[in-house]
This record gives sequence, C-alpha cells and structure tokens, in this order.
Amino acid sequence: MTELARLIATKAVSPVEVVRVHLDRIAALDPGLKAYITVCPERALDVARASEGALMAGQSLGPLHGVPYALKDLYDTAGIRTTGGSRIFAERVPQADATVAHRLGHAGAILLGKLNMVEFAYGPEGLNSHYGHSRNPWDRAAHRMAGGSSSGSGVAVAAGLAPGALGSDTGGSIRIPASLCGITGLKPTYGRVSRSGVLPLAWSMDHVGPMTRSAADCALMLGPMAGYDAADPSTSVLPVPDYAAALNGDIKGLRIGLLRAFFLEGATPEVRSAVEAAAATLAGGGAVVDEVDLAAVMTHAAAASMPIVACEALAYHADLLRTRAAEYDPDIARRLRVGAFVGGMHYLRAQQVRALVRDAVDAALARHDVLLAPSTPIAAPALDAREVSLGDGPADVRSALIRFTRPFNLSGHPACSLPCGFTAAGLPVGLQVVGRPFDEATVLRVADAFQRLTDFHARRPVLG
Amino acid sequence: MTTPAIDLDSLRRGARLAGFDWSDAELEEIRPQVEGALRLLRALEAIPLREDAEPTTLYRTV
Repeated sequence: MTELARLIATKAVSPVEVVRVHLDRIAALDPGLKAYITVCPERALDVARASEGALMAGQSLGPLHGVPYALKDLYDTAGIRTTGGSRIFAERVPQADATVAHRLGHAGAILLGKLNMVEFAYGPEGLNSHYGHSRNPWDRAAHRMAGGSSSGSGVAVAAGLAPGALGSDTGGSIRIPASLCGITGLKPTYGRVSRSGVLPLAWSMDHVGPMTRSAADCALMLGPMAGYDAADPSTSVLPVPDYAAALNGDIKGLRIGLLRAFFLEGATPEVRSAVEAAAATLAGGGAVVDEVDLAAVMTHAAAASMPIVACEALAYHADLLRTRAAEYDPDIARRLRVGAFVGGMHYLRAQQVRALVRDAVDAALARHDVLLAPSTPIAAPALDAREVSLGDGPADVRSALIRFTRPFNLSGHPACSLPCGFTAAGLPVGLQVVGRPFDEATVLRVADAFQRLTDFHARRPVLG
Repeated sequence: MTTPAIDLDSLRRGARLAGFDWSDAELEEIRPQVEGALRLLRALEAIPLREDAEPTTLYRTV
C-alpha cells in the first residue's frame, strides 16, 4: 500500500489502472478463494476516475489517495449491503458509512468490496456456511483454514485481491487470520479506533484494525482511522501520532519481553522455533530480550472471556434468536444460546478477573517496551481438523486458535501479528508483538524493524 | 475439574428464566456447550481475587 500510494502520488500509476488490476484479479481468483461477499466494480471505478481527476488537477485527497482496499462485511457502507456474514442480513443496506469507512474514504482510499467472515464474527476458524469457506491461499492441494473471524480479509490481502483490508478482533479475529495467511494485522488499543457502524460481537471486547502486507502499510491505514469519535463513547481523546514517522528501523536498547510459559511452551515445535528465531533476530538488531512469565494470569483468560463474550453476544442477538433462529448457521446459533445460561454474577466476576489480567500485562510492560509471543500455537490446520497437538498436550482447534490472542482482548493492549517464518509444509507462522496502551507506534516500530531484517512478509503464495 | 452434568429440565428452566422458549431438541443440542460453559464458570469462581477488585465494565480509555 505504501508503495502504491507513492506511485499514485507521483503519477507513475493511475488509480483507475490500480483498481482495474485488482478487480481483474478478484474476477480470476476469488471464485476459488471466496474472500469476497460483495464486489463493487462500478462504484470502485467511478471513485477511481474521480480520484485520478483530482490528482491531475493537483489536489491531494490524503495519504491513501487512489489506493484500493476492502472491508470485512460487518462495517456499514452506505448503499452497499452489509451482511455480517449472515443470511439474516443478506439484504441489509445501511444508510451511512461506519466511521472508519468514512475516514478512509476521506483519506482517499477506494473501496473494492466487502469481505467474507465468520457469521457475526463468532468463531476463529474462518468458516462460513452461507457464503462459502474462505480458502487459505498457502496450500492449493489441501483445503486449510484461513482463520477468523476476518477470514476474507486475511485471504484477500495474502492473495493480492486487495492491498489492505480492515478486520475486527474480539478474541483474535484480526491476528489469527493474519497469522494463518502470512500477513500483518494490528489490533489497536481498545478505544483507539471507533467501532461506530461496525456490527458488534461483544462491545467491550471488540477492536477494529488494519490487515496488510507490512507494518508500514498498517501504519499508513491506522493514521486516518484512529482518533476520537463522538459516535463511539469508548474512543479516546488522546492525539493520534504520526505512525509512519515512528518507523525508523531503530530498536537499539528497546526492552523486549519474550513470553515463554503458557505461550512458547504451548506452541508446536515449529512455531516455537520460528518465534525464538524472531526474538534472536530482534536481539541482533540491538533490542534487549529477556523472558517474562505471565502464565499465572493467562491461564484465567478462557474462564474470564467466555462469560463476557457469551452475555454480550446474546444481548445483541436475543431478538433475532427469538424470531429468525433457523436462518443462523446451526453452530453459531448453538454458541449464541449458551449465553442464556450465564448470569450477571459470573459476568461481573469475569470483569474482575479481566482487571487482574490487564494489571499483570501492564506490570510486565512497565519493565519492557513490548512483549513477544506466537500469535497462534499452530499453523493453518486442515479445514476438517477438530483437534490439534500442542506443546502441552491436545486441544480442540477452536480453543487452540484463540489461546494466545484472547488475553489481549481482555486487557485491551495493542497487539500485532506478523509473519516470522514458515513450517516445513510451507505454511506461515505468526509472531505477536504486544505494546502499552495507546503505544501502537512502538508495536509497529518493532514489527517494521523485523520486516527490514527479514523477508517473510514479502513472500507470496503461488496462485493459479 | 469434573464436568457439571445438567439435565434437560434444568436447561428448560434456565432458558425460560432468560426469556427463551426453546424446544427440547434445541436444548439437547446445546447441552455439551452448556456443560463446557459451566465448567469454565466453576474455574472462574476458583480464581482468587482481592476483596476490593472492581470489575472493568469498560476498558479504561483516556
């Protein structure tokens, strides 16, 4: 995206050309990959022509002038259906854009279409029985999970069907597909980016953020998205820094805490080796790496997260479950119904434990600038996998996928996933960088420094 | 920690208390998930907390 923005700004390429290339690629590859639910070719080309006209007239629309992108299909878009990945909302056409869609448009970005996702974002595997399962582009022989719930966002960026996309993350739904698809995804601090106009899964756990090929691209998208929004009372009034300017490649003396217990120890040997090698690479770049142990609180994350997500999700879906239950994917309906059996006492006790998790992460970040962990304990599993073997024993796939990401939805800290290696089978491995509240700049600086020292983020899946 | 068993009648009462009128078949379908959730709730109750630990009803924003 960064390079495209530069080429467009210098008139080396035209926004119309760039949009057309992406639309052609979508037409050729998306029937097999199922990254998109809705493609908007006419609208995208109309906006691209206007963008080109502005450029030729010497006007700059913003940092993303003429750069195409796509949205997970839970961001409201005026005049374009927003399905939430559900048959129930198949014909739902919002009147107004979500705040971030509006802000990206104002910064010059051009919407290509709306991306596939797990129905109502409730699941980490990336499956969708209504619009088809997005296909992980890294394995053309086997059908592997793309990860979710922002499955289409992960696949579209990895396969070159969009240079950047937005996802949303309630238990890892940006970082899991970023990890499994070999791209860079950022879950900003809770309150950094507006959720207004974004279909909720669990209000107090939902975060929205960019999914791109590099940390530099994430920085480019995050700038215009971030900042206070009167329509979302949880947004912060803190000023938005220049994220791109923070990416100077310098990590000398930066204190990095490597999370071994619970995280590295719970990953497969291939994932563990790749993350350990990444820590060594960062140490080679001048960072000071030591180990941090947060296992005592991290083991509470599942018990604290379940009541919060179950209650908040059911509160949003209660009326629809009463009137249109048969239209949900049966697995999603089952998960939503569980919320009926969680009471207020347990919801609030979970919020008490949440404070414990947040305080422990804060304490670790008082001594370190960032923390490092695997994003997921496994690389992309086969689509029909139900159980996997981890470093500390067997686990069901769903629990395994969200195990390392979910704690930072509870705590609200910013966390980025970026590729840090490949398994022997050629599948990407994700590294998670966690930072202090509202310090996305340091998280992105570390991710960018790693990407200056390695080329994992530049590798592409071989597609037909 | 053992899995708490829950019978159909308890599921019916729980669902009605929450305002849902689900069929026995629908309740039977979710029995494994409800038992899993109850197991997590027991684990939640066992987590030691300070007496003055306040719930974070919203993550602090600045």
